[in-house]
Amino acid sequence: MSGDNSDFYAALIHELKNNLGLLSMTLDTIPDTGDATRDAALDAARMQCQGVVERLQQALLVYKANQGRLIPTIDAYSPHDLVDELTRRAEGLAHGRVQVVSEVTADVPPIGFFDRDLVEMALINAVHNSLVYARSGIRIEADVQDGCLEFSVRDDSEGFPAHILASLADGTPYRARGTGLGLQFARLIAEAHENRGRHGALRLANDGGAVFSLIVP
Amino acid sequence: MAFPPAGAGKPAIDFGALRALVVDDYSGMRNALRLTLSNFGITKVQLAANAAEAIFHIRNKPYDFILCDFNLGEGRDGQQLLEELRHSNLISLETVFMMVTAESFYEKVVATAELAPDDYMIKPFSAEVLCARLVSILLRKRAFADAYRHFQESQLEAAINACDALMREQPRYAIDALRFKGEILNAMGRFEEAEALYKQVIAMRAVPWARLGLARALHLQQKDEAAEEELRDVLEHAPEMVSAYDLLADVCLAKKDPAAAQEALQQGVAVSARTVRRQQKLGEVAFDNGDLDTARTACTQAIEKGRHSVFVTPADYGNLCRVQLQQGDLKAVANTLKFNKRTLEATPEGQLVMAVTQSAAYTREGKSAEAAKTLDSVASLRAAGAHGDPQLMLDLASTCMANGRLDEADAVVAEVARNAHDSDALLAKARKIYADAGRDDAGGSVLASATADVRKLNNEGVVLAQKGDFRTAAERLLTACTAAPFNPRISMNTVWVILKHIDQAGMDEPMIEAARRQLGEAERQAPGHPRLAGLRLHLREIESRFGIHRKHA
Repeated sequence: MSGDNSDFYAALIHELKNNLGLLSMTLDTIPDTGDATRDAALDAARMQCQGVVERLQQALLVYKANQGRLIPTIDAYSPHDLVDELTRRAEGLAHGRVQVVSEVTADVPPIGFFDRDLVEMALINAVHNSLVYARSGIRIEADVQDGCLEFSVRDDSEGFPAHILASLADGTPYRARGTGLGLQFARLIAEAHENRGRHGALRLANDGGAVFSLIVP
Repeated sequence: MAFPPAGAGKPAIDFGALRALVVDDYSGMRNALRLTLSNFGITKVQLAANAAEAIFHIRNKPYDFILCDFNLGEGRDGQQLLEELRHSNLISLETVFMMVTAESFYEKVVATAELAPDDYMIKPFSAEVLCARLVSILLRKRAFADAYRHFQESQLEAAINACDALMREQPRYAIDALRFKGEILNAMGRFEEAEALYKQVIAMRAVPWARLGLARALHLQQKDEAAEEELRDVLEHAPEMVSAYDLLADVCLAKKDPAAAQEALQQGVAVSARTVRRQQKLGEVAFDNGDLDTARTACTQAIEKGRHSVFVTPADYGNLCRVQLQQGDLKAVANTLKFNKRTLEATPEGQLVMAVTQSAAYTREGKSAEAAKTLDSVASLRAAGAHGDPQLMLDLASTCMANGRLDEADAVVAEVARNAHDSDALLAKARKIYADAGRDDAGGSVLASATADVRKLNNEGVVLAQKGDFRTAAERLLTACTAAPFNPRISMNTVWVILKHIDQAGMDEPMIEAARRQLGEAERQAPGHPRLAGLRLHLREIESRFGIHRKHA
């Protein structure tokens, strides 16, 4: 065991994540009352709980990456199913306050090769950010660019702040908090994907809102 | 929460009719999962707290959907439960088995298709995702209905055609169809085609299961160098892929490198110590390598982890005692027999293990009167039909020799040799027993005459078959079967010749019955032998051909 107790902290975070996960599932089973104020509070609690769970997952992943153990388990998955799943999760979280639409372009093959769980974790984090900042809607997309699968989450917010776009462009680490940590984590996931020497990438842009794109080779 | 239907254009799933089983050791989680399932209309939900409860429920009635946590506390884990369910045919290919894990990265055991769950869910997950994944699996199983039905009826050719049709008509299932087809090809003994198929998948993407399938196909063609190279490379990139270590161990044993086989198994055990069969194999290989400490730990673990499972047999207790005896730890032997007395006494095989082990222990202690008495009871157990594994029989031979019962020893060794006339490893062990007793010459002649008889009958049968006289060949081989009732090679040759005889001369009821019996024996003695699937297929084909013929007649 390393002298800095990091294995111990990782185990602790793991435990916390599982406890919170159970809390989150319990919250999911509370039925809506139809009373808008009460339901809104419950929705907010669900979102916050999910947010903390995801933050802990990210912390564990960053730990794994630091240990050199972030190895994607690549298999064949349907990109259509993935977009479908993300859309449903987004709808569940948005609860009608923000409109969720999706699009899979005709070029997208029926099956793609990637680590579904890692990619989904990165994308659901982007969905969360977009749901927080979007004015009225978000859009989840799959496309093919230069032979690679590209999953994107777009919103109609004011877009990414300049310093985030800048730090992605020059490769410096994001500030390790809030949105920054989530993006750092998405970049780790993208780059861990490799196919015949090509690595995945994270692309951020502002185009009528924030556009988060994860490219897997 | 309201859930939209499973996506436009897809046929609907009737959740109300689905029978679900939730397996989790934590009651809070069980109830949360039950509520989650009820959210999308699955109301027929049974809960189980551990593997034993799950098996109890599944034996009582079939389930369509099993949602099982990987970590079930004490006792068997989710993967062991799945392996046992598949091994004992308690669930069919249509049953959805989803494994819930706390983290994707080290618990996701990449296994062969038949031992892999249909999907993994990482905790925590939302009801939406669970629902979407379940729908997707159910639709896939619907698409595979023909392939599964043919497979379960052992119509493997038809199952392959169904896979080919899926690849053509439903590209989204193309990879799944390739994976299933690869397993069928390997099971049928069509290793070259399997090799080509896996290479085709790897050309698309080097997914771990395809590389493992390729290595298996190579190993089954005795291309062990290439298989080893593939596996070592897989493990370099994915050191947590436990099933690759198991296959690597087989490859190393085939290359007569038992030290490397042991190392591979130990690495596999280091990643996952719970698989009973891996521990059993490690115990055997380490014992043969003279690494008694490792062997003892592995044999103990196999019994511990496999308690109440179908994978532990009386031979496992015999194996542990053998190691303990070799270590001179007679107290441990006595304890092993004492603590497991009830289990062992329950079957003739268990009683035989107890008696053989006990006689060896008495011999060690110099208690010749007790040893003689126990050897007498071994003889009567054997006379009543109790049969032990070859290693146990060799232990018995060596104890008999130490007690001056030379004729008995020679008879036991001759029996082992007849049943394993082509197993160099076992014959070498037998030879060593004679060498240790200073009876090399006697051993040489016992082994030579025992194997010569069987070899002669076998060869006569094979020569007759090559001349096309299948009827006489079958008779000759059936005589060999009487002399060597547990010899897998002879049994398989017999089945082959009988089937050729029927192909040539038409249905012969007593003969096909003998073929069925010998095939069953070969399956017991050499499970997973590459020739078995082809023979099974041929037998099935003849049965259905003449079954139909009889109806019309």
